Amino acid sequence: MDEMMGRGREAGANQPRVLVVDDGITMRMFYRSVLEAAGFAVEEATNGVEGYERLLAQPFDLAIVDINMPKMDGYSLLRTIRNDPAVRMVPAVVISTEGGPKDVALAFEAGANFYLLKPVTPTELAEVARLIAGVPAR
Amino acid sequence: MALVKASGQATLPLPEPARDLATLLADLAAPEPSARRAAAHDLAAHPEAAMDLCDRLETEANPSVREVLFTALIHLQSSSVAVRLATLLRSDDVPLRNAAIEALQEMPDAIAPHLRDLLADDDNDVRIFAVNILAFLRHARAPEWLAEVVRSDPHINVCAAAVDGLAEVGGLEALADLEDLRRRFDGNAFMEFAVDAAMRRIRGE
Amino acid sequence: MMAAATIAHLKATSPVTTDEEFAKFCEFFYRKTGIQFKDGKKYFVERRITDRIEKTRSDSFRDYFTMVRFDESGEELQLLVNSMTVNETYFFREDYQFDALVGGILPEIARTKPRVTPIRIWSIPCSSGEEPYSIAISILERWDLADSWNIEISASDIDSKILHTARKGIFSERSVSRVSAQLRSKYFTTRLDGDFQICEALRESIDFSLVNVVDPLHTRRFREIDVIFCRNLLIYFDDIGRRETVEMFFDALRPGGYICLGHSESMSRMSSIFLPRKFKESIVYQKPLSAE
Repeated sequence: MDEMMGRGREAGANQPRVLVVDDGITMRMFYRSVLEAAGFAVEEATNGVEGYERLLAQPFDLAIVDINMPKMDGYSLLRTIRNDPAVRMVPAVVISTEGGPKDVALAFEAGANFYLLKPVTPTELAEVARLIAGVPAR
Repeated sequence: MALVKASGQATLPLPEPARDLATLLADLAAPEPSARRAAAHDLAAHPEAAMDLCDRLETEANPSVREVLFTALIHLQSSSVAVRLATLLRSDDVPLRNAAIEALQEMPDAIAPHLRDLLADDDNDVRIFAVNILAFLRHARAPEWLAEVVRSDPHINVCAAAVDGLAEVGGLEALADLEDLRRRFDGNAFMEFAVDAAMRRIRGE
Repeated sequence: MMAAATIAHLKATSPVTTDEEFAKFCEFFYRKTGIQFKDGKKYFVERRITDRIEKTRSDSFRDYFTMVRFDESGEELQLLVNSMTVNETYFFREDYQFDALVGGILPEIARTKPRVTPIRIWSIPCSSGEEPYSIAISILERWDLADSWNIEISASDIDSKILHTARKGIFSERSVSRVSAQLRSKYFTTRLDGDFQICEALRESIDFSLVNVVDPLHTRRFREIDVIFCRNLLIYFDDIGRRETVEMFFDALRPGGYICLGHSESMSRMSSIFLPRKFKESIVYQKPLSAE
């Protein structure tokens, strides 16, 4: 995590916003820590239904999506997002424990922009997040 | 036009007589989802129908019917229901699998005796799902079993799921095992963070 | 014979129920109504049980409890339920939902529904009536298509006493504090005692009914509903109670119908079968159009 130190947080209205959707509490805390250090404002949701509600309520520059969650899984959330004109353009990165080719294909079919395998490293997460959210390089 | 009084209760049709078991079981396969939901709902009063409800889950594609089936099975919870639902942990149908996990979380005494086996399964995904069940299980021994996973499971994501579980339900007795886990996965930034976060939550910081 | 004062003192200081009795009572109450009491509520519940024990001149909690359980008329249970349910509401509470109703939900319903069918709205629990009357006034005042449709508003509650109050439609100044002077003069008459009564036309247009959501005999009468308002009821239920009630609402709604929950409630904790939708500033939940 040391490489994250020294990078300031971008404050103010132009701060990119990311929604983290994962049912694991320490996972959400980890994502928050990494993404805040990378300059994002972070909001959390604990399952796909809550994730979709948050996306409807406010604009986001990026969604981080887990697959296995109660109430609505990650694939279903992606399909729901892509079907809804109000939010279909939100870029989404899937981060999952399942890395088989079938799982990855399913994620892209459902509407993912990128796929990462758990556990992610902080650098991976920060760089992919900034890339997919379209945040300019520092 | 505008506001019109709805017809009162007195003018509505009398409720239909309760259907017998055979009719209800047949209605589980009715063409209309509303009929299947109604059958599943009413079958919650028939313990002898539990296996039929489990059978239906294997072919039912409609999400609202599935949900009612699971609700009925939560009512009818038993060891054999728990065993059948646990087989769904191996399913490729992601929503079905996740709904099975949620249903099993609602039947702690029924699933508890079977968790040992699931936690020793060869498939690490099955072990992760078993840990997910444990993490929200209202069972006095859940923290103990989660600590055992932390001590002995070789797979990082299974351990990570257990750390999450301990962050939710673990007590001070889990701290030593968590510290050992951090050492075991020394160098992994995520695990270091997760263990730290879990330990802080357990200590109430 | 003990002096009345001594008896009163004993009643005041000794616990009404043992832990086991309390647990059994809560279990019984939950089975009958779906309502669960959380730990902090013991004092609240025991006060009301004491009250009912006295009113029924029972000798003890055991006597009272036995009487309630075996009373075929269900009258005492109803009185007990009435005393347990908390009714604290006012006109246009959480008004952003009425904005969503007239500005988003009803226009969409009007676009997708055949004109000959009525628009059915169900307020449950309706409590003392503020919610269904607020719905009615909002529609009449703010939905431009109100006159083109037959709109049926049903209002239900488990508490018979509060339903009686709702039918009478008499409200305090506090309850109507968010109602503008213009709307007050249009829809209410001011009584000599300072209270406000909803005009007869509105009182007559709402169908009030006694409904216990866990009783299918009550709830299966509601079908083809377009909008359900169920605010701050489900918070009293446990997980399985919430699942079952949500499933019941799913069946009550026509495909494409909507349910509005309370401000701090979300389907994300309860069920996967509804689709979140946003209208104005509200998240509401829709039964999929393709669902049957």
